[in-house]
Amino acid sequence: MPSARPDQIRQPPLRDGIILIVVLAVIFLVAPKVYGNQSLLLVMMTFVALAQGLNLLYGFTGYLPFGYVGFFGAGAYGMSILVLHAHVPAIPAVIGGGIVAVIFGVILGPLLRLSGAYFSIANLATAQILLLAVANPSLTPLTGGPYGLKLQQVFAPGAAYLTMLVIMLLATVIAVYFRRSRFGLGLRAMTDDRVSAEMAGINIVRARLIVWLISAAIAGLAGGAYAWSISVYYPDAVFGTNISVFAIVFALAGGVGTVIGPIVGAILLYALYNAIGITVPQYFELLYGFLIVILVLFLPEGGLSLLRRRGVDVL
Amino acid sequence: MRSLIRGRMAWVLAAVAAILVASLGTGRAASPPSEINIGTLYASTGPFAVSSESEYRGLQFWAEGVNKEGGVFVKAFDKKIPVKITAFDDQSSTSTATTLYNQLITQNKVDILVADFGSVLTSVAVPLAAEHHMLLIDPTGSGANFFTQKTDYLAEVSLPASSVWPVPLALFLLDHKIQRVAVIFGSNDFDASQAETLKALLEKGKVSPVYFHAVPTTESNYQVLLHTLAASHPDAVIEFGYAGNDISFLRALASSGLHFDMVFTVFPGQLFDLLIKNVGVKTLSYTLTYPTAPLVTYEKVTNGLNTADFVAAFKKATGRDANFLDVAGYNAGVIIEKMLGTATEFSQLAFHSALMEMSGNTTTLVGDFKINENGAQVGELLPVAQLQPEGRGLKIVVVYPSDKATGKLVNPAPRR
Repeated sequence: MPSARPDQIRQPPLRDGIILIVVLAVIFLVAPKVYGNQSLLLVMMTFVALAQGLNLLYGFTGYLPFGYVGFFGAGAYGMSILVLHAHVPAIPAVIGGGIVAVIFGVILGPLLRLSGAYFSIANLATAQILLLAVANPSLTPLTGGPYGLKLQQVFAPGAAYLTMLVIMLLATVIAVYFRRSRFGLGLRAMTDDRVSAEMAGINIVRARLIVWLISAAIAGLAGGAYAWSISVYYPDAVFGTNISVFAIVFALAGGVGTVIGPIVGAILLYALYNAIGITVPQYFELLYGFLIVILVLFLPEGGLSLLRRRGVDVL
Repeated sequence: MRSLIRGRMAWVLAAVAAILVASLGTGRAASPPSEINIGTLYASTGPFAVSSESEYRGLQFWAEGVNKEGGVFVKAFDKKIPVKITAFDDQSSTSTATTLYNQLITQNKVDILVADFGSVLTSVAVPLAAEHHMLLIDPTGSGANFFTQKTDYLAEVSLPASSVWPVPLALFLLDHKIQRVAVIFGSNDFDASQAETLKALLEKGKVSPVYFHAVPTTESNYQVLLHTLAASHPDAVIEFGYAGNDISFLRALASSGLHFDMVFTVFPGQLFDLLIKNVGVKTLSYTLTYPTAPLVTYEKVTNGLNTADFVAAFKKATGRDANFLDVAGYNAGVIIEKMLGTATEFSQLAFHSALMEMSGNTTTLVGDFKINENGAQVGELLPVAQLQPEGRGLKIVVVYPSDKATGKLVNPAPRR
């Protein structure tokens, strides 16, 4: 569980947050004009959004959701069902996907009574249950069951890309708010010492539920935009445990409890993942695994800890 | 003065027009590429690794073969051009596959795009190929979802659509008057579409399955399910799963002490050696399956090696016994070769037109190549075969349809 350090408690200036958001927006608006593989950029933004959503929960409350992908899948299916059955246009349907994920967040709220590994395992189990439920052949008329779903009528990769960009920026704005606000400070106090925080007047139950639901909404929105972008998918594609694992690894690699950490972690590691996969696919597992081991051994607090050690205040 | 300017402008416009016409002309008579770049993906890890690597190996075998002879004949350039395969590892992940297919199209600018094994890893390529106006050569992605509308950008080449796989099986069961049929299947498109087709066809013949149950694709414990299924007293038990499911199911059946007169599973007919190795001859004896090449052979082919020659050449080149997926990968290459030799222009639409022209008059080592306007393969229908003991091993006996039968069905199967 991450503990707040004195340099993290200091509130960074708003200007840094605004610069970060503008830089991020410019990078991903310009990137498709320079590099034609828009799918790669979209998946990269998806992982930035997921890593950031996970960071809100784990970095600010200490709850590590191994089944975070459950919200992602719920958002993907929520969006798709709205398009296919209610004929809702794609963008409102993506928002609907976020709402569906929040509804599941409310239903699964009691999981927050657990902590540590118990919470993580229970959360993973719920994601698997959701996967089995949507893949059940009895639900084929609604979810497509094992046959998956096809959203060809709204397929628009360009619009899906911009939507994912907005979702990623939204996640970053929320992370900046958490880093700068009394609410965020309260969350970190709660993570460090729950009893003291409660004694200081922080409503722990309400605060962690709010973060849980915000985190669910980000994953749900990202899931909706992702489903829109790929347009043909099977349940495994949006409920695969590897999506959670990637989000966790990217967030931890950059450094949780910060705004910039999950962004740097997701962009660098996902770019590296693809660079290795494209240039030397035969050594892919070996090289990527080796990199992760090095990271865990020498930078357990994430890449940004290198800067912190040199006294740089990281957003 | 004004007329002078107009005169000059006219000359400039004429020159621009001439350059444009000349450049268009150059475009039409494009010089032949030094190599035909075929882009594909394979999975070295994950649930599809075994099948995917086999299929990739088959495609590589074909490419090595044609390159030894100077390349493939490309009618659009009236010459032979060597083939290069650009392949990336998607690790059985659809999100990785999405970016890598896009990489092949937008960065590597491959001439021909070939999908990875199976429906799951093919699914993300279907919209991408259509978006970029690339013809997707689909060796084994047989999900019914792909073939719902007319398209110029998809062609399934080595397997029939999974929804038509069980047609001969259903007719076989009805023909043998099997009244009590139990069906257990994986919750995925490949297995569930087979189960639904079988159920619909049986019901059309007034037979309702006595047991019809889906299990998670990752299911590995069939013990309880088998006992539940046995309580419905079936005459035939049909299990639709991936190779891992089939292995778990057959192992559970062997250790349960249960006996059914007729048992059908999918993958003994595709990955015969793998199933023998994991399940054993005794357990596989009398099991029914869809036999695919090389277990069933096609002697007379119009293109490529026939089944027996392929098996021998593949063994010589790789030291491995060929399985169906090796055959499927090789067959994709053979179809590409004929497509390039038929297409009069070097364009994706011309490639598709060539495939449509080939459809119905091409036979390869997996059978008759025939695609419909939605890109679905409808020619290579799968017969029903029984694995019957022979010496210390098993032989494949095709039992249905009767015109392709190579022996008689043993029913009920003797107790193991």
